[in-house]
Amino acid sequence: MKKLLLLLLLVVSPINAEIYNIDQLDLKNHQGKVVYLDFWASWCKPCQRSFPWMNSLLKKYPGEAFTILTINLDAESEAMHQFLAKVKADFDIYHDPSGQIAEQFKIEGMPTSYLIDASGKVVKKHIGFYTKQVDKYEREIEELL
Amino acid sequence: MKAKYKWLILCALLSANGCSSLGVKPWERETLAREDMLMEADALDLAFDEHIYFSKEASSGGQGFAGGGCGCN
Amino acid sequence: MQLSKKKVAGLLSAATCTLLGSPVQSADNDWDVDSAILFYAEDNDRIEVVEPVISATKDLGDDESLSMKLVLDSLTGASATGAVPSTIVQTFTRPSGNGTYTVDPNETPLDDTFKDTRVAFSMNWEKPVDRNNRRNLGFNVSNEYDFTSISVNALWQHDTNQKNTTYSYGINIELDDIDPVGGVPEPLTDMLAQDKGDSSDTKNIVDLLFGVTQVIDKSSLFQVNLSLSEADGYLTDPYKFVSVVDSVTGEPIRQLFENRPDSRSRQSLYGEYKKMFSNKDIFTASYRFMTDDWGIDSNTFDFTYRFRLKEGYFIEPHLRWYQQSEADFYRYFQVDGEPVPAEATADYRLGEMDATTVGVKFGKQINDQHIWSVRLEQYVQSGDSSPSEAFGQLAQQDLYPDVEATMVQFNYSFKW
Repeated sequence: MKKLLLLLLLVVSPINAEIYNIDQLDLKNHQGKVVYLDFWASWCKPCQRSFPWMNSLLKKYPGEAFTILTINLDAESEAMHQFLAKVKADFDIYHDPSGQIAEQFKIEGMPTSYLIDASGKVVKKHIGFYTKQVDKYEREIEELL
Repeated sequence: MKAKYKWLILCALLSANGCSSLGVKPWERETLAREDMLMEADALDLAFDEHIYFSKEASSGGQGFAGGGCGCN
Repeated sequence: MQLSKKKVAGLLSAATCTLLGSPVQSADNDWDVDSAILFYAEDNDRIEVVEPVISATKDLGDDESLSMKLVLDSLTGASATGAVPSTIVQTFTRPSGNGTYTVDPNETPLDDTFKDTRVAFSMNWEKPVDRNNRRNLGFNVSNEYDFTSISVNALWQHDTNQKNTTYSYGINIELDDIDPVGGVPEPLTDMLAQDKGDSSDTKNIVDLLFGVTQVIDKSSLFQVNLSLSEADGYLTDPYKFVSVVDSVTGEPIRQLFENRPDSRSRQSLYGEYKKMFSNKDIFTASYRFMTDDWGIDSNTFDFTYRFRLKEGYFIEPHLRWYQQSEADFYRYFQVDGEPVPAEATADYRLGEMDATTVGVKFGKQINDQHIWSVRLEQYVQSGDSSPSEAFGQLAQQDLYPDVEATMVQFNYSFKW
């Protein structure tokens, strides 16, 4: 019954968000676009605050030049799905429950975001999300576009 | 009593300091992020207790601060 | 698992909201409100308290918050004065100096003059300085008919080891005005003389706190705190007596107003451990050791275990054990003819005793910020009713009656 409901939520809720397994993430597929790579988890309140802003970026910048990829680090996928039922996500989510990618990137805090230019080079890293710094984040993206 | 007490503190502080082997990765804090796992959980209960015990006993305060939590930002 | 129709409807409407493009607000600008009311009653017509509290925290964005708390405390009932019981009826002068009250034979003298309402308000502002540093500033004011207090506090928290270790540094400064009914009694003078000096006096307290919080693993952490406290000024209780007893019969012949030192230096060491089990039960244990220059040492042990039940319900038994030694200047009574010391108190709160609290809390966690609970606690405090120094009629009296109290508390926390 629970699984049925979750499936229902998946269908009815976050629209454009596709949830993949972390093994399916290959950044090379996105070369040619500026990539905003974000590490988040359902229990992280600043991550929750960043979602509406990240959704707005997808409307603001052309899809051929910019994309958002996120990595969810919830150990339990149920927590991730319950969160996505309440908070809209228009971007793709790669689920990394064991934290192996976070480990590889040596993530120091939640959330962490990387700004990657069209050639695949990491240009900026931000630890934490601050609503007061949103203008600065957007300028950094615009510089690369 | 004073000397013994100083030793206790030193021990506690040293053990906390040499504790870099303890801890979790930043993405492993889902349990610690829960409201009921914060050190200051049930703050109103603590405040009531403190008020009652302060008026019935000779000791007061010296208790907890905020701690733990999600560790975000 | 049966899902009620209401639940499904709720979830579907949330999903629909999402479809229609109006994201469900993450509610960052709302208030987190905690409200509670405490009912406290001691046995034997002693103190009764009703205490409603409301506390609210507003998220100001980016981990900055403002919280406020209002406490109302309505107190009625009688309190032990420190005077000893007698085989005959005793008469005591009320603190105001107008009027008297009588105490039956073999009863502990209690003064029931106190019917009072206290109001306290506090505010705290927390703001991050940078990723690993936070500061918290606050103030408190409290007022009752014979006591006014104002305090300010500051706390700095610093994270290291990827926030697995947090150092806390705090200071609290308090200024109190004591305005006793009938004025401040001259120390160790006879109750009947009603020798009152100033109408009021003051005291101040400075507390320094240092703490370390350490994450152990994904589901447990501990905290160790050191605190130092210095109190200076009028620390005596203006309503308490020390009985002077006849050196042969042990019968009280007069009452002296008590007197305490004008400074008190305290140190305490506190440790707390919290752990969540895989079934989401939570165990919390703490210990506090306190010592001061009045000769009092105390030990406090506290344990709670939250059993997680179905559908968000929980039940949490609680056990606290407290023990203290007596103040250097504590005495059960003063023998007539013996020199009266500079400081003396017979206030049971500074005597040697231990106390046990057994309680249980039951509630429902509707979600992270929406909780209600009921807490029931029983407190029993006991000391030495027949100390070896008791003689004459005192040997048959209960010189340290047990204090038993029951507490019932209702809590409701929600987002507003």
